[in-house]
Amino acid sequence: MEVSRIRALRGPNLWTRHTAVEALVRCEGDESDLSSRADFETHLRHLFPGLGQLSPTDRKIPLSMAHAVEATTLHLQIQAGCPVTFSRTTATNENGVYQVAVEYSEEEVGCLAIKLARDLCIAAAHHGEFDVEAAIDQLRGLDEDIRLGPSTGSIVNAAIARGIPFRRLTEGSLVQLGWGSKQRRIQAAEIDATSAIAESIAQDKELTKKLLHAAGVPVPLGRPVTSAEDAWAAAQEIGLPVVIKPRDGNQGKGISVNISTQEGVMTAYNTAKSFREDVLVERYLPGSDFRLLVVGNKLVAAARRDPPLVIGNGKNTVRELVEQVNADPRRGEGHATSLTKIRIDDIAKNRLKEQGLDENSVPAKGTRVILRNNANLSTGGTATDVTDDVHPEVAARAIAAAQMVGLDICGVDVVCESVLHPMEEQSGGVVEVNAAPGLRMHLSPSYGKGRDVGEAVIATMFPNGDDGRVPVIAVTGTNGKTTTVRLTSHLLRTHGLRVGMTNTDGVYVNGRQTDSGDCSGPRSARNVLAHPDVDAAVLETARGGMLREGLAFDRCHVAVVTNIGMGDHLGLNYISTVEDLAVLKRVIVQNVAASGTAVLNATDPLVARMAANCAGEVIFFGLDTHHPIIATHRAQGKRVLFVEDDHIVAMQGPHSVRIPLSEVPVTRSGAIAFQIENAMASIAAAWAIQIPWETICKGLASFISDSQGVPGRFNVFDYKGATVIADYGHNPDAIKALVQAVSNLPAQRRSVVISGAGDRRDDDIREQTRIIGDAFDEVVLYQDACQRGRVDGEVLKLLRQGLEGAKRTRQVDEIYGEFLAIDKAMERLHQGDLCLILIDQVEEALAHITHRVEAAN
Amino acid sequence: MAFQDIQILRINYLRGPNIWTYRPIIEALIDLGEMEDHPSNSIEGFNDRVNAWLPGLVEHHCGVGHRGGFLTRLVGGTWMGHIIEHVSIELQLLAGARAEFGKAREISKRGVYKVVFRTEHETLGRASFKAAHRLVMSAANNLPFDVAATVEELKAIVDVLCLGPSTACIVDAAMERKTPFIRLTEGNLVQLGYGSRQRRIWTAETDRTSAIAESISSDKDLTKRLLTQCGIPVPEGRIVTSADQAWEVSQDIGLPVAIKPADGNRGRGVSLNVDTEEGVRAAWLAAHTVGAGWSGSEENVPVLIERYIKGEEHRVLVVGDRVVAATQGETAYVVGDGVSTVEQLIESQINTDPRRGESEIFPLDVIKFSNSSRGEMTLLEIQRQGLEPHSVVEKDRQVVVQRNGNLNLDVTDKVHPDVAASATLAARVIGLDIAGIDIVTQDIGRPLHETRGAVIEVNAGPGLLMHVKPAVGQPRPVGKAVVDHLFGPNDSGRIPVVGIVGTEQTTQLAQLVAWLLHLSGHRTGLACKDGLYMNQHHLGKNDARGFEDSERLLINRALDAAVFETTPLHILNEGLAYDRCQVGVVTNMPETTQILMDQHDIQTPDQMRTVIRTQVDLVLPEGASVLNAQDDAVVGLAELSDGEVLFYAQDANNAHLSAHRQHGGRAVYCQEGFVTLARGDQETPLFHLDMELIARLLKQGLHINTLLATVATGWSLGITPLLIRAGLKNFGQKHDQVSKDLARMNG
Repeated sequence: MEVSRIRALRGPNLWTRHTAVEALVRCEGDESDLSSRADFETHLRHLFPGLGQLSPTDRKIPLSMAHAVEATTLHLQIQAGCPVTFSRTTATNENGVYQVAVEYSEEEVGCLAIKLARDLCIAAAHHGEFDVEAAIDQLRGLDEDIRLGPSTGSIVNAAIARGIPFRRLTEGSLVQLGWGSKQRRIQAAEIDATSAIAESIAQDKELTKKLLHAAGVPVPLGRPVTSAEDAWAAAQEIGLPVVIKPRDGNQGKGISVNISTQEGVMTAYNTAKSFREDVLVERYLPGSDFRLLVVGNKLVAAARRDPPLVIGNGKNTVRELVEQVNADPRRGEGHATSLTKIRIDDIAKNRLKEQGLDENSVPAKGTRVILRNNANLSTGGTATDVTDDVHPEVAARAIAAAQMVGLDICGVDVVCESVLHPMEEQSGGVVEVNAAPGLRMHLSPSYGKGRDVGEAVIATMFPNGDDGRVPVIAVTGTNGKTTTVRLTSHLLRTHGLRVGMTNTDGVYVNGRQTDSGDCSGPRSARNVLAHPDVDAAVLETARGGMLREGLAFDRCHVAVVTNIGMGDHLGLNYISTVEDLAVLKRVIVQNVAASGTAVLNATDPLVARMAANCAGEVIFFGLDTHHPIIATHRAQGKRVLFVEDDHIVAMQGPHSVRIPLSEVPVTRSGAIAFQIENAMASIAAAWAIQIPWETICKGLASFISDSQGVPGRFNVFDYKGATVIADYGHNPDAIKALVQAVSNLPAQRRSVVISGAGDRRDDDIREQTRIIGDAFDEVVLYQDACQRGRVDGEVLKLLRQGLEGAKRTRQVDEIYGEFLAIDKAMERLHQGDLCLILIDQVEEALAHITHRVEAAN
Repeated sequence: MAFQDIQILRINYLRGPNIWTYRPIIEALIDLGEMEDHPSNSIEGFNDRVNAWLPGLVEHHCGVGHRGGFLTRLVGGTWMGHIIEHVSIELQLLAGARAEFGKAREISKRGVYKVVFRTEHETLGRASFKAAHRLVMSAANNLPFDVAATVEELKAIVDVLCLGPSTACIVDAAMERKTPFIRLTEGNLVQLGYGSRQRRIWTAETDRTSAIAESISSDKDLTKRLLTQCGIPVPEGRIVTSADQAWEVSQDIGLPVAIKPADGNRGRGVSLNVDTEEGVRAAWLAAHTVGAGWSGSEENVPVLIERYIKGEEHRVLVVGDRVVAATQGETAYVVGDGVSTVEQLIESQINTDPRRGESEIFPLDVIKFSNSSRGEMTLLEIQRQGLEPHSVVEKDRQVVVQRNGNLNLDVTDKVHPDVAASATLAARVIGLDIAGIDIVTQDIGRPLHETRGAVIEVNAGPGLLMHVKPAVGQPRPVGKAVVDHLFGPNDSGRIPVVGIVGTEQTTQLAQLVAWLLHLSGHRTGLACKDGLYMNQHHLGKNDARGFEDSERLLINRALDAAVFETTPLHILNEGLAYDRCQVGVVTNMPETTQILMDQHDIQTPDQMRTVIRTQVDLVLPEGASVLNAQDDAVVGLAELSDGEVLFYAQDANNAHLSAHRQHGGRAVYCQEGFVTLARGDQETPLFHLDMELIARLLKQGLHINTLLATVATGWSLGITPLLIRAGLKNFGQKHDQVSKDLARMNG
């Protein structure tokens, strides 16, 4: 068995809406039918007892090694703690070759899982050994390393619950929420609006204190002192009891708290002085440490934080007491749990020493023995949710503190006896404010209720239930995609939206080209959705990208399928029939939002059938007014577009809008049928996102399909009185549509320049010239620059074969080189002739033709 | 025989507007002692010594009004207090600080002077004063004095405590448009505006500068990735591990390329502008060798191949969504003479440029091979050319010393709109409101795709000095751009501020005014004798009229208005906490007191007037002075008010009041028991003094004058008469009573 071509499908794809890892599994001999190898499953289960049910999704094919790889990949991830459920194996048209797709929650984990699954299955097949526990640990470790941390995770989960799309921008915690101009960013518990200055202020304790004091928030006032006498003077000014500590001290070294006598102050001063020259005297705040979380202008959670401690019972040593506490099964080792084991390390030993103890002392019954000064969960501290206890005055001070410093997400550290009463009544105060506070203690406190702080963060970033989405229109089909994308974008731009557009020519944002080349894949689409100036996206969605990576978006507002026809590129990537192709192109329809719309060509049966797969509404369009699907849809009061009396009619129930074809220049007053279809598809897309009709009509009237506007799509030139049409059409459907279109244009002699792309099936190449042979007098065949795997002359031969028995063609020329072929055809033109040039190198050929036309005029 | 030291009796730092000026000053009280009998021209050689030590004194116009003015006074004979004032100013200027104002006045006691001068910082001011004192005594006693060392000491203070050049240019722009500022730290954190209307800056960061955006901009790879996504050209690069791969990738990216060890941040192993296969292979080997040295392994040493961007480095400053300035860097080079070493050539050909200097105030750096990172870059640059600092350069050979070393040529007007669009987009993509975009291109006047230029870095908190002081070309008002970005066109960042001075019931008046502001929907702060109040929340009973407590109200972002009670002593001791006010109220001209006489030599009514006028001087043109028309001395302050004047008096026929009304002025008085508002001859009775709830206040001891002052102040603040009446009726009442009454009024 061989597992190859492992791909990460990063968006909705042929198999599932979820992210999935996909691989080709090639089985040899009886590996394709495990019923003949009954011991395999036994061995597999022996090596991997956690393996779930092993059965084919498709009952028609026998259980194979591919199925075993599928199930193993899935269950290894499940055992490692990944929330995944989907998996599938399908047979291809090649014997013993399967496509296996398994959901992942983390790409790297998924890819590793399928490799481990392969090794595990091979080991099982050869009765070998495999350490499955190690494999699961490896996956779990990797998952913990790369998945979002708890703070970021809680915010992202809240975003997902709201339907806000997200994308990780780094391997760390930087995440984009929403799309285009509506996007926001977060990084752990920081949001993009979090001010850098505010963060710097929060890091400066003295400055923070000054500002909070200015805002009337109680803080432990104090001042630096220069001598023991000065310390006592300061203590009296401030009011007893006081804290005396070295300035900028760390780890609590040299700090004396709760001092209320002159003698105590003197001693404490000298202690502090032995650590640092600068000594501070501050008011002592009695009570516990509380962390109040302020998000926006609200208090969303509060927790009491206790340092790791044990309580003496008069019998056990400190060490034994710690062991008893650590025996609590909720106490884990790392960051993942809400409690962590207490460690007896040097810090703890020093802290014990301060209390006159060591780890072998037996503290008296009821004595609180503290093992560390800080209350961090990761060092054994505990957090108890007290959100519901917070007095409104306490909350108001915490909010005032956050706003004074300027933090939109702020952890306010309060020391007081209880949050049930105002701080002022119990000489409590705010000791610190923290930017990017950890959220774990509120999400899963050691004791008490967890709080949905992620949703609070999302609510401040996306007020009023906004989902951060800009309208996304995905366009696919065999022909007409590029024109539809360009025309739809034009309609949206006419409405004043800044449109991000991807197509086979490049990426355009608000009219500026930001990338060139074939940009119909998910990478370009993701770039558009990340661009800060994009108010709406119109994305040509080609098959290649869908197969390679899945879609760039989780769902779209509008999916447009122009047609499937006889298909194109058949036979590649296990897409061998038009039905296969339809299933693939259907993916965008399947991922239309429930509130969205699919725009489908009613006259193409494969396209029309996709309506059943759409969660949203469907708009059907078609040239044929009386097409049964359109008629039915119309009768049901749903939205349709059709052509009637030289008008495009858009109709919904009793309402209709009629647009004269004469006012849609791209159709040449209705002469070019396929452009009418493209126009209808674009109108429908604009209609679906509520662009006003007035704007749509204005946009249709101002859309010019020339070699500048839509290069290579029915660009018409006047050359010495003859009509020259350049088009990029390169499949039978396109050729058919072009032939139909040019036959509507009057001409004396008709000629055509044509090549064939080598990566198409033989039949498809022949078919093109077969269509042409019945419509043109002269044909110039040329061999194009790139033969795409064909030997020299092979394509020309096929093209010639297609012309055998042609009804109209009288003259056939063969030329090597696109430009020479164009020259040859154009030289022969006389007034009143028509020449269709099927160009291959779009930009260069158009430049060549334009140049010739300009020279002639 | 030596002169006895001039005695320094006291040095005060007045932190806000004061009797001398609107700005903070040092005010020293000195006793000249015997020197009172020895003016400058009477001590032999004194003037010459002072002149020799401080030649810059020639620029001091003094009262004379032209260059050399002060020197004329020296020659004519002037007293030591006056000289110490000028020397203090000159020393501060030499230290790079600003100090444009000074005065010296003898007080009523012979030989005792108040010496006053502007300073940017208290510590600097005190140190300058003491140094000036020493200098003058040394000159008088013909003793040596080390001016250079003194200036160095003061410079050290300036460097630590005064605003840096970027912050200073923003603060200057703020002052230009009358937006007040408060320094929140000894560093560069500055608050512009007051209370809830304030914004903050920290060098060229604003309170809207996103922390996430800053962390993105400091990650070069991430920055490049995000920019590329949005179609902004960057030097695209890839990591390779072999020479063959290096050549393959180089062809892919397009020649020329830059080749460097991937984890290096210094210049070692870096080759630039490589454009042949041979070159690529050699450069790869160089980078590989250095990289292998770091990692200690020959295996898989990551080497970065990047598109080499030809051209000069430019810094494009984006503020808000606009390009506001751009400078271009220049390649610095020396030409050999066959004798001198590289180091010598740099000294003679480059560092002699007067624009170059070691401190921040010079537009260009001096070039040294010191151990700074810049020096190291220079060293690597010449090493790449096969030279060392001590190598002698053959005649006429050009040696590049610094590529894109200094950004010094203003090119703002040349920036192509397309480049500007890329720069502002880059700032948006990263998420910065103020950003310095580094662009390398051969011509900033052409689109980047034409020159194959690229954005190489996006900087948060960019330095502004290069735009304010370009070595060549026009300075750009970037500070103004930042302030305009922070505040709307008609927004000065101010909240309504009311200042009240006098001796009669000023505390009650302040409380009533604060109450009215509160009722009109302003979260109001009040600093008075009775303590500090924030939005009706009493923070403590300690006298809050001092500078420090008062300033808390202006710093608090949660306040929309502030009311301050003050006294002559507070003005004299510390100055006022606010720079200007919306309304200044004077209830009466106080009598002088023993303490004022002893500490501040305020003896006469005229001297008292100079103290009290401070309150009226601060009134904004769009504001108002509220003055008691029953006190002639107070009425005399009216002429000093930049804003409107409102008079109040119990007697409707008060002469000043009538005259004021005749000119259409506003006034408040009693008319047949009715408190009446008048504008010119238009009168509106507001309430009768017998009205129960009003009478209650009077019975409690509120003086009618205070009541009238409250009404006048409320009116001057634009509070509606009905609300003023309702507010007075409800003052001190229980909350539910208040809300009921207000509800009735609104209903």
